[in-house]
Amino acid sequence: MLGYILRRLIYMIPTLFGITLLTFLLFNVAGGDPAAQLAGLHATPQQIEDIRVELGLNQPLYKQYFDYVGQIVRFDFGRSWATKQTIGQMILGRSLEDSPILASLSLTLPVFLLNILLSIIIALVLTQVRGSFLDQSTMVSCLAAMSISSLAYILFLQYYLGYKLALFPISGWDPSFFGRWEYLILPILIFVILSLGGKILFYRTIFLDEIYQDYVRTARSKGLGTKSVLFKHILRNALIPIITLEVLSMPFLILGSILVESFFAVPGLGGLLVLAINNADFPVIKAMTFIGAVLYMIFQLISDLLYVVVDPKVRLY
Amino acid sequence: MADNIIEIKDLKVDFHTDDGVVHAVKGISFDIPRGKTVGLVGESGSGKSVTSLTAMKLVPNPPGEISGGQILFEGKDLVKASEAEMRKIRGNKISMIFQEPMTSLNPVFTVGDQIAETLMLHQDLSKDEAIEKAIELLDQVGIPNPSTRVKSYPHEMSGGQRQRVMIAMAIACEPDVLIADEPTTALDVTIQKQILDLLADLQKKYGMSVLFITHDLAVIADIADEVVVMYRGDIVEKGSVSDVFNKPQHPYTKGLLACRPSLDKNPERLPTVSDFMTVDGKEISYDISALLKEKTTRPIADDHDVLLEIKNVKKHFPLKKNFFGKVQNWVKAVDDVSFKVRRGRTLGLVGESGCGKTTLGRTILRLIEPTAGEIIYDGKDLVGMNRQEMREMRKKMQIIFQDPYASLNPRMTIGSAIMEPMIIHNIGANKADRLQKAGDLIEKCGLPREMLNRYPHEFSGGQRQRICIARALAVEPEFIICDESVSALDVSVQAQILNLLLDLQEEFGLTYIFISHDLAVVKFFADELAVMNSGQVVEMADALSIYQAPKEDYTKKLLSAIPKGIPKDLLVTQLQ
Amino acid sequence: MIEPNSDALPAASPNSLWTDAFRRLKKDKVGMISLIVIVIYVLVAILCGLDLIFQNYSVADDARSYLAPNAINWFGTDFLGRDVLARAAHGTYTSMLVGLLGPGLSVIIGVVLGALAGYFGGRTDALVVWFYTTVDTIPYILLISAFAFVLGPGLQTLCIVFGLTGWVGLCRLVRAEFLKHKEKEYVQSARALGAGHMRRIFRHILPNVLHIVLIQFSLAFVSVIKAEVILSYLGLGVEAGTPSWGVMISDAKLELSRGVWWGLLTATLFMFFLVLALNLFTSALRDALDPKLKGK
Repeated sequence: MLGYILRRLIYMIPTLFGITLLTFLLFNVAGGDPAAQLAGLHATPQQIEDIRVELGLNQPLYKQYFDYVGQIVRFDFGRSWATKQTIGQMILGRSLEDSPILASLSLTLPVFLLNILLSIIIALVLTQVRGSFLDQSTMVSCLAAMSISSLAYILFLQYYLGYKLALFPISGWDPSFFGRWEYLILPILIFVILSLGGKILFYRTIFLDEIYQDYVRTARSKGLGTKSVLFKHILRNALIPIITLEVLSMPFLILGSILVESFFAVPGLGGLLVLAINNADFPVIKAMTFIGAVLYMIFQLISDLLYVVVDPKVRLY
Repeated sequence: MADNIIEIKDLKVDFHTDDGVVHAVKGISFDIPRGKTVGLVGESGSGKSVTSLTAMKLVPNPPGEISGGQILFEGKDLVKASEAEMRKIRGNKISMIFQEPMTSLNPVFTVGDQIAETLMLHQDLSKDEAIEKAIELLDQVGIPNPSTRVKSYPHEMSGGQRQRVMIAMAIACEPDVLIADEPTTALDVTIQKQILDLLADLQKKYGMSVLFITHDLAVIADIADEVVVMYRGDIVEKGSVSDVFNKPQHPYTKGLLACRPSLDKNPERLPTVSDFMTVDGKEISYDISALLKEKTTRPIADDHDVLLEIKNVKKHFPLKKNFFGKVQNWVKAVDDVSFKVRRGRTLGLVGESGCGKTTLGRTILRLIEPTAGEIIYDGKDLVGMNRQEMREMRKKMQIIFQDPYASLNPRMTIGSAIMEPMIIHNIGANKADRLQKAGDLIEKCGLPREMLNRYPHEFSGGQRQRICIARALAVEPEFIICDESVSALDVSVQAQILNLLLDLQEEFGLTYIFISHDLAVVKFFADELAVMNSGQVVEMADALSIYQAPKEDYTKKLLSAIPKGIPKDLLVTQLQ
Repeated sequence: MIEPNSDALPAASPNSLWTDAFRRLKKDKVGMISLIVIVIYVLVAILCGLDLIFQNYSVADDARSYLAPNAINWFGTDFLGRDVLARAAHGTYTSMLVGLLGPGLSVIIGVVLGALAGYFGGRTDALVVWFYTTVDTIPYILLISAFAFVLGPGLQTLCIVFGLTGWVGLCRLVRAEFLKHKEKEYVQSARALGAGHMRRIFRHILPNVLHIVLIQFSLAFVSVIKAEVILSYLGLGVEAGTPSWGVMISDAKLELSRGVWWGLLTATLFMFFLVLALNLFTSALRDALDPKLKGK
């Protein structure tokens, strides 16, 4: 197992190299002259030149690239242009209550769990009545729900439930771990609604893939009832694609949601990114892109390891 | 009154499809006597598998529906039984084994758990007791080291072992009836023999009744007491095995019995079902002596013109690589094979799955690059030829694959499929000329030329194989490799295609390498024979002498495993 | 003597798999209605693109700012007094343009790279796999934001952004299909008959992979239309003044609290019917192209 993990970590090196190259090309080469942007509209050429020297932009490209890789190896993403904070601090926060990652998680984790629970139950029910009116109409409803822009959901539900009916605070934040839930209920609710349709359809397809397998026929020929076949045989096999795919979506739990967080003033990483884009804060966007990629790679590794656990056919090489 | 455990009366099963209702089973009646084995025979589409699933009420609904009739199990009508009642019967009183042991077992549970599940469901056993019993059962079905194998997953076992596990699961509760749906079709012939012997032993031991579904009459002859022949959803003939095999009444049964090549006969051509009846089931008169005309053996002299010579050919595949990409382990798929193929003759290449015969066939055509060795065709070594030279050679050497469904491009009309090689090799002056040629070829292969603008999916398996043959002939080859070319076809169609290949050989003087796992077919078809095992040719001689006097143990084992196709009691009378 | 085939021959006229699929599609009522809806949108887009209908879409009138739906402006007016219906109609043009060009570009990239990688294997494959793993590793929303941010707002930018980022999934699929198909017996037969690489790739394998490309294109169309809204919200969408559903929906952030709901509603409805029709059509298309999957 340890050898396998080690080998997988080594295989990550080319991808990491690719990511540094891509972000470098994107931000340092294609992105135009950051010095001009940084200096503002009324800067003199001399000021811009000073900034270029300060940022090392007068160096040849390959040297800039090596500097960049060097920074990354030291986990030093530099400072935000907008707030002048170090980016490491911005992402980690000063304390646990202040941590953007935990803020994002307190929004996304409940959504993630609720979603899985609801969609698995609904999808399992649908597979039992497949082809019926209930099945067909649920499928069309899911497709319809997926056809509305998530921004429209947020705008409407925030306005209606928060402002019109005043059932929930419209937006706001309390850094304490208990106080924040008051503000989180509405965004969690909205988040679940806007992602449930797609999830249900996804799980329904996975379950139906299993239902027509030969082993299901064998299980029934043993005399097992619908419930045992469904919960023991089918669910256990469906777990293989479910776990791997859900784990791969976990980086987004940490990265948060751009839209929901900025609308409900959740101080998570998603909100941070929106601010950075609005402020044209190059280093922050670059750092977030890189961190997002690394998170994805880590969870990909976890997903592969879990695969070994849930699928006896997979052996470690 | 006979003691029948199951009586099926006027059973009808329909399938509701987009194109209307399909009557899969059209009102059939037969009985399964207590303690006996009934063989249910039919080709694809005959409704035999649907019948067996219906007996357990496992036909998927929708689209399937039992639209009439009765299934009386010990006097109780299962068609009317509730799902709860059926659950108590399934796996307990009636159990079933299927064709594909790999997919039929749940891949994520150990075999022990799966056997124990049946036991715990129908008998009042704790988990430990059930596992204990599962070990006993595994021992009974002949799995070595049952107490460790009980913890194995299905993918860790061989095909034959998986089928043994399925059997252990089926007999766990000592059922009254065992339904076996083509349980040996996916297995090699030596494994098939073991499984058939095991089933016979278990039947004797538990006094079970067995419903054995198969397309292979020879298997039925070996194991069944009674036989039911199905054709397009109807029963055309039923009776005791000796009656049906001795005095078949229905022309379809006669055709089915006659068209299967057998080891003890040596006909020139194979009779086919169409020699006995028309497509719509009317009997036609036939000339028995013409049908049974003996083949004149074509002797092969040592100085006979050699078209192809294989010298020390090896093909090794990397199995495991170490971290630096260096191969640590090789599979020797073809391991030092040498032989000669004579012009105008057929070399049969026979062996069980995994013996390397298919790899060898593809290596000869350089569809796979050989690891070492020489492939000398008409005096020229193919190994080391460049792409241009190889392309020239492809005109002369062709291959016909096993699966007629996969070997035609589904998005190309069969006309363009046949004309494509002509375009590649500049055969034919213009399009009209090529079209004319393609039409001639397809007619030669038994299909009307109007069919050239059709697409492959509109044809049956046998028809598609005819198209593949026509396409191979388009380059006017002199040498064709038939890689299991008739294995995926029903026996009656198989006979037609084999006859076609023989006719073409005569007309064009073709040389064949005929690859097959089916010894009876190879013996009928080939002049010379090479038996392969683990990548090597273990024995090689002319076809007849291998069958009459096999020298190697492996060949003997292979020969003895073939179902003889003659019922036991018939054999006894013949001996007397 | 050649023995004739004894099986029944196919019926009267030839059917390619495509005509078969089209016949099945024609029977699918939901699919056909969706197709009609899509065609209507396309017509609206073309007419708006040629400036033949709703020519008033950019006519501003301060006096008519934020009018609720009325006899002249059926769907009300926006902040600058422009007709909301006209702007939504012209937004169709923007969405169609981005939805066709963006995925069109990614289809070209994805199919070419996927086909080369899957067919030739070896180093080519390793390089392509490395490339798409790298791009895929960056979360999609971050990737498009970063691209859009760097390239600056605009219609062309959107097309390029979606084109350059959306090809990974398709490339992966096409590569897998080519890997599978190149070993299939029909391709091996073609090889044995002397067919070269180009003939095998374009004449044999590609037509058998095309239906997957078609479905993926349709899915990409939807995801691009939806992503455009988010980019608009981030200020990374079209240039100011260009009519777009994304901008109309984002603007509602400030409008709703003032009781102005018609901009949001109109743009959402316009988008809803198109996306729903595309979703339903995609699933009908999938059933028609691959009848084995029916009902899943």
